[in-house]
Amino acid sequence: MSRKAMLALSISGFALLAAPAAYAQDTIAVIVKATTSEYWQWVFKGAEAAAKQLGVKVDELGTPKDDAAGQIAVLESAAGASPSAIVIAPTIFEALGDPIAAVSKAGIPVIVIDSGAKTDNYASFLTTNNEAGGKAAADALAACIKERRGKAAGKVGYLTAMAGHESLDSRDRGFVEGMKAYPDIKVVGNRVANNEEAEGMNLAGDMLTKNSDLAGIFADNAQMGTGAGATVAEQKLGPKFCLVAFDSDSGEVEHLKDGSIYALIIQDPYMMGFGGVWYGYAAAHGARLPKNVDTGVGTVTKATMNDPKLAGLLDVKKRALGPYLGN
Amino acid sequence: MTGGRDSGRPITLDPGVLRPGLFSPERWTMRSLLRRLPVETYVVSFTVALWVILAMTAPNFLTEANISNMMRQTAVAAIIAIGVLCTIVIAGIDLSVGSVVAFCGVLFAQMASHGFGVPASIVLTLLAGLIVGLINGLAVGKLGIPAFIVTLAGLQAYRGLALLISGGMTVGGLPSGIKEFARGTAIGVPNLFWAMLAVGVSVYYLLRYTRAGRYLYAMGSNAKAARRQGIDTLRITIVAYVISSSLAAFASILLVSRLSIASPSMANAYELQAIAAVVVGGASLFGGRGTVFGAIVGAVLFTTMSNGAVLLDIDPFWEMVLEGLLIALVVYLDNLQKRRQAGF
Repeated sequence: MSRKAMLALSISGFALLAAPAAYAQDTIAVIVKATTSEYWQWVFKGAEAAAKQLGVKVDELGTPKDDAAGQIAVLESAAGASPSAIVIAPTIFEALGDPIAAVSKAGIPVIVIDSGAKTDNYASFLTTNNEAGGKAAADALAACIKERRGKAAGKVGYLTAMAGHESLDSRDRGFVEGMKAYPDIKVVGNRVANNEEAEGMNLAGDMLTKNSDLAGIFADNAQMGTGAGATVAEQKLGPKFCLVAFDSDSGEVEHLKDGSIYALIIQDPYMMGFGGVWYGYAAAHGARLPKNVDTGVGTVTKATMNDPKLAGLLDVKKRALGPYLGN
Repeated sequence: MTGGRDSGRPITLDPGVLRPGLFSPERWTMRSLLRRLPVETYVVSFTVALWVILAMTAPNFLTEANISNMMRQTAVAAIIAIGVLCTIVIAGIDLSVGSVVAFCGVLFAQMASHGFGVPASIVLTLLAGLIVGLINGLAVGKLGIPAFIVTLAGLQAYRGLALLISGGMTVGGLPSGIKEFARGTAIGVPNLFWAMLAVGVSVYYLLRYTRAGRYLYAMGSNAKAARRQGIDTLRITIVAYVISSSLAAFASILLVSRLSIASPSMANAYELQAIAAVVVGGASLFGGRGTVFGAIVGAVLFTTMSNGAVLLDIDPFWEMVLEGLLIALVVYLDNLQKRRQAGF
């Protein structure tokens, strides 16, 4: 939290610096992992809001699907247009390291968001602590099982959206580690999908067939959460079962409302886009930035979803983020 | 669809001629018996063998819940495969179906959640699928662009349209009737499975008992000969691609009903699943060969494999390897059979 306060303070400081320089039109390129996902659209929304405040132009770039080679090409052509700064969410840790370092060396400040890359040659790194998010999911799942079955005991499984993704692996690791705090809950299964809702739905159904006494599932991104939520709704397991999922796209929020999902672990993609553009602008004008910034995770249940502090995280339209401190 | 001007001419080509009937008067030897086996033999034996193994090793496999679960899981994939089958029969291909499912699904959800009314949304979605098929058919048949290229372009373009009309976001807020359909059953069998059977029977009838169906096979076996016989190949090409895209549109409605949302990222790589199901089901990518029954059993086989992998706790990475090996094996055995039929 204190880190967040520092971030807020430093940004409001830049705001004062930035005001007189705003007449020179800056362009900041924002490159996401996959433009087809709602999560990344939220990053763009945050970037647009920051651009409006700063009076800069934002180029929204990315490949439709996770594609490291494609993203490197996008990064290189974006750098070719010499923007003031580049904000990027690297698809693959190893692959994007050197290209990002090359852009930094060419004098364009790079703000890395969401996932890491194998280099330290960037201006700042804004990310969710995914492992902490996984732990939060474990705690929420255990709390749900205790609430619905009397005690925190039983079998649980987890759904991984894709193999070999650093942020997903960290969530899963955090979840499995977090579950160790509950000795009576056993992690019995893990399936890996191809990041597609229907496959998440099928796998959740099959996991329930295998262990009909399964007490809960952790779904590690929005696609898996939406898919697993559909299975819980289809089998009418709502009040008996415990599903905890990462992120908050509209499918997941619907399932949170109808009771199929117990809790969502939400990150703050809007803040990553918003803060990324702010930081990019600051770096382009010579400000020194903290190397690592945690944008935070929150746990939302049906009971807390109307809390005004969380509403903006669940629905970007309710986000009133005038001054950055609003969060 | 009947071919008006040549309706008086007898057409001798029939899918039946490609495989001698099991009881046709020929010498009963092992070789001739193998030759008489229908094209779906291998995929059916594999599927049944897998069921037997799973029934013995996985205690929850033969439960009512799991069977109705598998019926739901198979339906969408099988309907798409049946559509793709029609293009493969004429020696074409349809790589766009996955993206068409995403495009039509998002379109359907947008209309249904913005008060268009469910019946109107369904009709307009199917119409969109039909138009996509018309474009594909004309581009292949009239402009002579290879089907692979036309539908590869579609794979990209319709995914883009899905993103455009959804703004890259998941579309929710659907009327509850849509969600209920996929969860419902009739006479104990999931609605989705009935939908698949209805599609299967209709396309089976079309391929087997109508002139258009016979022309599809005739064109796939030998397009030049078909044209010389007076078959309007442009028309037949359009029929094949319209069936494929319309069924993709129909499948998209079922998928949206099942997921209770539409997402521009859904139905990723479904075209490959569909082609795999059709080919494993005995169809030839060179055209002229393939059945609805084979495509359905192919889809059932893949559902069984992923279901079995979870029940037996097979490593997800091994599951992919095994699926690949299975495709290779079934198609190899099937090729042996084809060579026997050709008399090698």
